[in-house]
Amino acid sequence: MLKFDVVVVGAGGAGMMAALSASKDKNLKVAVLSKIFPTRSHTGAAQGGINAAMGYRDNTDSTEKHFRDTVKGSDFLADQDAVEFFTSRMPEIISELDFYGVPFSRDENGHVAQRPFGGASSPRTCYSADKTGHVILHALYEQCLKNKVQFLNEWFLLSVVVENGEFEGLVAMDIREGKIYPIQAKSVVIASGGFGRIYWSRTTNAINMTGDGTAACFEAGIPIKDPEFIQFHPTGLAQTGVLLSEACRGEGGYLINRVGERFMARYAPEKMELGPRDLVSRSIETEIKEGRGFGEGMTSYVLMDLRHLGEKKIMERLPQVRELAMEFEGVDLIKEPVPIRPSCHYTMGGIHVSDFETCSTPIDGIHAAGECCSVSIHGANRLGGNSVADVVLFGKYAGIGAKESAKRRIFGGTTKLEQEATEWNAKFKAIRENTVGTSMFDIRNRLAETMWYNVGIFRTESDMAKALETVDELIEEYKDAYAGDPAEKYNMAFINYVEIGNILKLARAVTMGALNRKESRGSHSRGDYPTRNDEQFLKHTLIYKNGNKYRLEYAPVKITKYQPEERKY
Amino acid sequence: MEKITVKIKRFDGRESYYQKYEVPYEKGKTILWLLTMIREEQDPTLNFTSACRHAICGSCAVQINGNAFLACNTSLDEVLDTYKTMNLTFEPLKNFDVIKDLVIVWEPKMEKMEKVKPWIIPSEKGSNEHGFLQSEEEFHQIAAPTDCILCGVCASECNQLAVNQEGYLEPFILNRAYRYIVDSRDGSPQDHLQPVLENDLWKCLHCMQCVSQCPKSIPLTDQIAYLRSSTMQMGAVNNQGAKHAYAFHDDVKNKGRLNETMLPIKTDGLVQTALTKIPFALRMIKKGKINPLHMPKQISGIHEVRRLYEYAEEVKS
Ligand SMILES: Cc1cc2nc3c(=O)[nH]c(=O)nc-3n(C[C@H](O)[C@H](O)[C@H](O)COP(=O)(O)OP(=O)(O)OC[C@H]3O[C@@H](n4cnc5c(N)ncnc54)[C@H](O)[C@@H]3O)c2cc1C
Ligand code: FES
Repeated sequence: MLKFDVVVVGAGGAGMMAALSASKDKNLKVAVLSKIFPTRSHTGAAQGGINAAMGYRDNTDSTEKHFRDTVKGSDFLADQDAVEFFTSRMPEIISELDFYGVPFSRDENGHVAQRPFGGASSPRTCYSADKTGHVILHALYEQCLKNKVQFLNEWFLLSVVVENGEFEGLVAMDIREGKIYPIQAKSVVIASGGFGRIYWSRTTNAINMTGDGTAACFEAGIPIKDPEFIQFHPTGLAQTGVLLSEACRGEGGYLINRVGERFMARYAPEKMELGPRDLVSRSIETEIKEGRGFGEGMTSYVLMDLRHLGEKKIMERLPQVRELAMEFEGVDLIKEPVPIRPSCHYTMGGIHVSDFETCSTPIDGIHAAGECCSVSIHGANRLGGNSVADVVLFGKYAGIGAKESAKRRIFGGTTKLEQEATEWNAKFKAIRENTVGTSMFDIRNRLAETMWYNVGIFRTESDMAKALETVDELIEEYKDAYAGDPAEKYNMAFINYVEIGNILKLARAVTMGALNRKESRGSHSRGDYPTRNDEQFLKHTLIYKNGNKYRLEYAPVKITKYQPEERKY
Repeated sequence: MEKITVKIKRFDGRESYYQKYEVPYEKGKTILWLLTMIREEQDPTLNFTSACRHAICGSCAVQINGNAFLACNTSLDEVLDTYKTMNLTFEPLKNFDVIKDLVIVWEPKMEKMEKVKPWIIPSEKGSNEHGFLQSEEEFHQIAAPTDCILCGVCASECNQLAVNQEGYLEPFILNRAYRYIVDSRDGSPQDHLQPVLENDLWKCLHCMQCVSQCPKSIPLTDQIAYLRSSTMQMGAVNNQGAKHAYAFHDDVKNKGRLNETMLPIKTDGLVQTALTKIPFALRMIKKGKINPLHMPKQISGIHEVRRLYEYAEEVKS
């Protein structure tokens, strides 16, 4: 049987940081498992930057201010001890990344450059032009090559195996060979990224962001924390969901409906298109809902019109935006408006991390970092630039935590590992042999539609109750859905099948969390409960899965310094 | 309704064959849309890779009618217009091992990349605790080369690589070496440069295919020129490549233009050229890059060219 001291699942920013710190102990056998080649990971998509109070651009900035901004941004749902730990260590991490060769943009003094970002009281977002995540991902990969980290590329995590509360290891598939392996391990770091794909086409996330690690932990008995908090971005391209920069609105773009109105006049007569993200998102969806959008169903949209700015201004100020619209939507902004619609951008919730210093979950030996989990430093709403920061910082500490766990723990039993591998083999065989049933893509699309309309930007009791029913039906239908590829080797249809199973499980948790949180807080906005209710809901949702049963509990939020107050900007 | 006829090279691990699909044309779509339509609506056994769908992850490069493109940022309309056809043939990238259909393997390329130590060798000026100071100017040196998304388009297009997989380095590897050689924070540029020199640096044939197809417009051939002059500065002048440079120099000085047909013969000798360059030359001729029948005459302004040389010599000394 394959055996490692530490296994890291995921090779994005969080996974590679974890691998680098775990493999510092040369006596430990460490492996990184990734379903895609490491540099394809979604961390590469982050453009804007990474937050750290370096104080280079504004010497009045401090880790304390970063702490306060993050807590306020989270609508007071973040755990303040964790946030303080995070903000106070971020400056070191930036220097470490610099030392790893990350090509940061520079200021006139030769320091890492910083820019202002939404929700930040000082300009503290470090960046590399518009490719911050990309260059961090590549530098970390280079460091892994240098340090001879062992990668198992195109290996897919199927399950995390826990027997009587003890972590035993993992079951994973080598996609290229089509073979399923039990893997014994003393500890694991799950760093498998977010699950924005529950909304399928309406997300800025890469197509593989299906929350596999989150679903595997959920299945293994670890609760999911605060899944109902999902961040939406108002301007995703209509066809693909690809993010269209906020700069369009910033530079004075108009939002136009089917009858040619600048409809923001109805919702934010003063600020118009420059209203806050969530308000703009809700306004666009209202227009579509009330029949003033273009197109139909999931492909409906409104227009972002920049033509009045003129060719010169567009070319000067928004050349990249123009190129993006041209490449991905086939539209030249100088001549035509571009179809847009809000898109799911980030999942605040995830695997319940119960100890932020080691990123341990409630099960000894299982650690988690990055978007797949919730520490929680983002609470009900993540600030721009805080996620890549989260990923590298907690990735590092999760790696150290897993290293210590591995030194302390011994290998567990193998019976359940063997048994789960056998079950997955049987499932693989059955899916390959199946020639009938509803197409899995159809199930995926219906899930997205239900989630988008009922557990998306608007949420009400009756809509969400409807969604819960639909999701349950889809989970039933999924069991004998049709994947369509009989091959053993490189069977991506099977992989997609498992991924769709995972988003179904997670979508159910999102819906359940949202239904039960009868208040509006951060990204969770309910028409029937429009205000925040600290008395009842200043607490974390924890959802457990036991077979087909889901159970919901609440856990207290850690408040150390900042008492909740109204969140106004 | 108009249909696009798509022929895709399939490979199941043992055999390869071409399979045909028909897809109704839609305006304003990308190549990735086309492949996804086929997979989701006609044939779930078709495999290709993609992730970000906005030209940053580098997973989706394929060959369309013989040239490499990123599927996600290539407009279907543009491709149909460029090739003036409704028939598209998809193949995996060239110069890579194929796993299945359009899916290629990257690990061997990464092993090769390790030759150039594709990581920073930090100079003494920085530390883990405080990082580095680097000027804006110095950052600009590494801005373009760090745009590389490792999509493999350049390697697929590389005519030298097609005949010299073992000896030559992929353009993206040369780019990685270059990126650290010019990084002010790197303390040991020669450690990246020496392996570049030892791996047929001089064999780049200036066909410019890599640059013209690079989705990030990285100036790969300028970088190669830079690497070459750096190795000459390092004192590596008595190698085949440097001789090539002198031959180049002589050609231009004598005739005012380059004789591409004679150049390999001058540097390698006739027999060697016949043995190794022919398959390559045939490919180049097919692509219209060189004309073997063309024997350059003196251009009219040759005296001006010579004067430029004299001037350059004067300035140098
Ligand atoms: C368009 C866009 C722009 C963004 N911009 C910013 C920004 O400017 N600043 C900011 O702070 N944040 C930004 N974010 C958010 C941020 O990029 C992500 O939250 C973060 O990068 C997630 O990193 P990660 O390491 O957790 O996961 P990822 O980088 O997503 O990596 C996940 C890894 O897990 C692996 N994996 C997943 N499932 C499996 C499985 N079953 N088996 C094996 N391996 C598996 C994958 O192969 C991958 O390697 C942006 C997000 C998007 C979508
Ligand atoms: S899908 Fe990421 S580059 Fe094309």
